[in-house]
Amino acid sequence: MYKIILQNSIATFLSVISVTIVLLILQVMPFEIYGNLFDGSFGSLDKISRTLLIATIMALAGFALVVTFSTGLWNIGIEGQMLFGAIGATFIARTFLAEYFFAPIIIIIFGTLFGSFLGLLSAILKTRFNVHEIFGGLGINFVASGLIVYLVIGPWKREGIASTGGTDLFPKSSWINGIGDSNFPIYPIIIAIIVFITLFILLSRTSLGLKLIATGTNKDAADKFKIDSVKHILYAFIIAGAIGGIAGAIQAASIHHKLVPNIAGGYGFLGILIALIAGRNLFTVVVISIIFASIMVGGVQLQLRLGLDSSFPYIIESVFVMSWLIIKASKIDSKLLMLLVNKETDFG
Amino acid sequence: MDSLELTVITIVAMSAPLIFAVIGETITERVGVVNLSMEGTLLITALTGFAITIWTDSLYLGILSSALIGGFIAFIIVWINFRFYINQIAVGFIFTIFLWKLSSYLGGDFVRIPGPYLNKITIPILSEIPFLGPIFFDNNILVLSSIILIPLSWFFLFRTNLGVNLRAVGENPIAADARGLSVMKYRFIYSVIGGILIGIGGATFSLEVKYGWSEGHTLNYGWIALAIVIFGGWNPVRASVGVYGFGILQVLSLKLQSVTIGLSQILPLIPFPLMILTLVLIQSANKNEGRWFPKPIRLLIFGNQPQSLGITYKKDS
Repeated sequence: MYKIILQNSIATFLSVISVTIVLLILQVMPFEIYGNLFDGSFGSLDKISRTLLIATIMALAGFALVVTFSTGLWNIGIEGQMLFGAIGATFIARTFLAEYFFAPIIIIIFGTLFGSFLGLLSAILKTRFNVHEIFGGLGINFVASGLIVYLVIGPWKREGIASTGGTDLFPKSSWINGIGDSNFPIYPIIIAIIVFITLFILLSRTSLGLKLIATGTNKDAADKFKIDSVKHILYAFIIAGAIGGIAGAIQAASIHHKLVPNIAGGYGFLGILIALIAGRNLFTVVVISIIFASIMVGGVQLQLRLGLDSSFPYIIESVFVMSWLIIKASKIDSKLLMLLVNKETDFG
Repeated sequence: MDSLELTVITIVAMSAPLIFAVIGETITERVGVVNLSMEGTLLITALTGFAITIWTDSLYLGILSSALIGGFIAFIIVWINFRFYINQIAVGFIFTIFLWKLSSYLGGDFVRIPGPYLNKITIPILSEIPFLGPIFFDNNILVLSSIILIPLSWFFLFRTNLGVNLRAVGENPIAADARGLSVMKYRFIYSVIGGILIGIGGATFSLEVKYGWSEGHTLNYGWIALAIVIFGGWNPVRASVGVYGFGILQVLSLKLQSVTIGLSQILPLIPFPLMILTLVLIQSANKNEGRWFPKPIRLLIFGNQPQSLGITYKKDS
């Protein structure tokens, strides 16, 4: 455990160095950027709240990927599952149910249902029709985004005008608000913690989790032990879709308060990047989500103070992930750690 | 010129970048590599072509540099796959985001600069022939080469020895290796060639279809191209039919814009459900469920996915 943390710290440090190099090549000042990113994401309670809210959404997206990764499959359809979660949320927000105090709970439940439906669709394409999950997932993402555009300018359009600007605002009673007067996202955080604990127990303490992982690690062996891999792939995608749906419902009910065409905001895709680093480790998902969310939220300050393009958070994150994967693949971090540890023992 | 003829010419011209991109990706995937960075590559090469043309005042230098960048990106993706055994899809995905955002940063100075564009090469008399004349004898070199590329790439893939070897590497790298083909060499060379074509596609976009540069200039074309490659069953001719079909959809959505803004946004997304449908058909054909189709129709709608597509090749395993 201790060794893994040290190794990951080294890998993080090296990845930051390569991000720094890329920023220098792009002729911007890296340390000024890092300072502003930190200040812009943790500088005040308001900024911290915003960062944590985004981090929750990214972490949920990351969790959704981890579940299918454990069966050895990609959940590229995460963006679409988030969109469907948002559609489910909007569906409830437009009914009489939205007027009651418990509306947010129903919104989350419907987001979960809608998301898991789309997850199931990906899984059926994969298991029944043998469609590669990457292409199936991508296709489903675009179909879902087409459906949202249709809903926003069609049946759910605002009174009088049909524009892609979004639907009417949800009734206030259905918003997921912060705690007290602040916008500290306590409820999304609680939801994310519940999902985290459930997944942790599911993956490491139950036989279902073991079977999911068995399906992913060695399908032939799993078949020999009479583990129905098709069934477990379906389970994994339903769970993943449900988590993605929650993320989408939170997006709709707590950030936008309405349905807009790009409601997933690319956080699903960032969730994929996060899961690429984390592999099957839920805790790493949380850590990287907070880091990435702070980069996204702090990125707003880059635009305001340094006049930098809004693309920088993405550039930093993608370079970070690429370097991390290469460092891990070439085992530079463990070699460096061995070097350091050996030196210590020489002196000791 | 009547309006039908004009529409056909517009569709052929509009489809040129997608033809390059789709055929480039088809060749890449036939050799067993997925270049998922398509959207990013198209954006960065569209910017490169435009920027270099403005700096050097030479369209041909612009196209050349786009081609080089496209090839270079493909090289890096394959190299990372061979050197570190990192999944091609992961690398392609990261590159998509990186190149997309890089293009919007680097392109900041080029937004809405009036763009240079390619002149038409007009051959007298021949260009008077209806339909064929304006397409073949009164068009710019990029559109013309996009049309020529279709039969050329088909012939190369399916009627030459090199093409057979290329497909063998994509189908079964271990067997190809046993027959003395260097999997690494084949994957590098043809992915780079594919990348070069995708790069030219990017340049075609900013120099021929939508002059100039704006953020997210290529309108999801990269993802659409990936979908059309599958729709085309990894066959350049069928994929090109898909591209022109998509061109018709686009013209339709432009015409319908005045009627309803909804359809114009949703029609361009049709390739994606079609892609899923194609994959379903292909797989059910392989599973003996599609046997009831007569053979010619089967050949037409079913395809053959390269068996080692996207799978990392390790020589010693």
